[in-house]
Amino acid sequence: MNSRFGTNVISILSLAVLWEVTGRIMDSTLIPPLSRIGAAWWKLLASGKLAANLTLSLTTLAAGFFLAVAIGIIIGLLMGRFRAVEHFLDLYVNVLMSAPTTAFVPVLIMWFGLGVESRIAVVFLFAVFVIIINTMTGVKQVDSVLVEMARSFGAKEKEIFFKIILPAAMPAIMAGVRLGMGRAVKGMVTAEMLLTLTGIGAMIMQYGSSFATDSLFAVILTILIIAMITMQAVQWLDRRLTGWKAEIAIE
Amino acid sequence: MVEIRGVSKSFQKTVKDNTTEVKALTDVNLSVRANEFVSIIGPSGCGKTTLLKIIDGLIPCDSGQISINGKQVTTPGPDRAVVFQTFALLPWRTVLANVEFSLELRQLPKEERARTARDYLKRVGLTDFENHYPHELSGGMQQRAGLARALAVNPMILLMDEPFGAVDAQTRQLLQEELLELWQRERKTVIFITHSMDEAVYLSDRVVVMTPRPGQVAEVLDVPLARPRIADEVRRDPKFVELTNYIWGSLKKAMENHH
Repeated sequence: MNSRFGTNVISILSLAVLWEVTGRIMDSTLIPPLSRIGAAWWKLLASGKLAANLTLSLTTLAAGFFLAVAIGIIIGLLMGRFRAVEHFLDLYVNVLMSAPTTAFVPVLIMWFGLGVESRIAVVFLFAVFVIIINTMTGVKQVDSVLVEMARSFGAKEKEIFFKIILPAAMPAIMAGVRLGMGRAVKGMVTAEMLLTLTGIGAMIMQYGSSFATDSLFAVILTILIIAMITMQAVQWLDRRLTGWKAEIAIE
Repeated sequence: MVEIRGVSKSFQKTVKDNTTEVKALTDVNLSVRANEFVSIIGPSGCGKTTLLKIIDGLIPCDSGQISINGKQVTTPGPDRAVVFQTFALLPWRTVLANVEFSLELRQLPKEERARTARDYLKRVGLTDFENHYPHELSGGMQQRAGLARALAVNPMILLMDEPFGAVDAQTRQLLQEELLELWQRERKTVIFITHSMDEAVYLSDRVVVMTPRPGQVAEVLDVPLARPRIADEVRRDPKFVELTNYIWGSLKKAMENHH
């Protein structure tokens, strides 16, 4: 773990140095040196513009993502547990899972207008299907011997669900949540660029079209950092909930 | 105590749109006395495990019936507990929490659960491992936890489904000796499914030989060996050797008749 962290740091530092040097040699607006990006970032931060837009974006992200997690897990559990529900829904879920979600944006505008509801809907649609499918698969793969064991000791359906199915499916559910998080960030930026120019998506479009590359890269780096932080948060949660599985995997 | 009367069971087996009926058990009759140790031995696929599941009430039989002390069995009940071949421990729970699982389902208060679970972990020699997870333990230790979980609910009848089939030979002998010791102290009725003639004779009061599918009782044999049985001595006893040979012959005959 520690040596890995060290290698990560070295990797980032060398990329930063390479970027800085390339930027200075090229002396072009297309690849601004890292120091200029840093300065632009600091300016954005000081003006409060980044923080304001970031708050806007992250609220959308959080709302859409938590909806996707809640609804995705519930639907996935039902599909995994009840054959009828699975057969009723799996066609749509599978189609929508691989369909380009961006194509639904015009429909969402018609339904929800140009406000925050539409952006939340986009984030939701980006994230929800992968959570459904992972949850369903997790439930279906629960070792039937464990269910039999619980039943044999007198467990009722409710106890089988909460004491066997749910914990056994948790690693798969968390894998879905992790993948859903990545997709939710994509959905957020897509929504802000395609739908209504708000939040950090709007900043990207604005700086991109005016060739303000230093600010543009500053925003992009911010998005990367957010993606990294949210991923770490989900992974932390994953370890807390399914630490037993990780230990098995290491051995 | 346990009366098995005319039990038959078939399964639907579907291979590519082709559904056939497979007869697993046909007209099985057997009586098991209180505190008796009975082994059921038979070729693979003779329905031994199916019979055990029917006795436990996990699956219904098509015809016939099982009764325990005169009461008909339809569902799993607190008078029975199963020890599973693949241990069936919950990998996300520690050994202690696994043993507590069966007590949780019986709605025991928390402190009592922990106390009882620790007590049974002590009896199977796992006291030092209560905070380990199943994957950190050897197969033999995992099955000791499985045994503790079953004993903890204090059942009258212990149903054991090839419990030592998944551990290595040396551990198997050790577990057999430990089981006999426990059984001598706890005095449960044990119905023990096995593949091993040696194991069946060493452990049991009576050995039930089953025919190949559809399973039926071919023969019920008394084991004329005194208890307590010392493993090394018993296995050299001429009566032991004679009986194992006889069972082998009986199994062979049952299998030949079948072809």
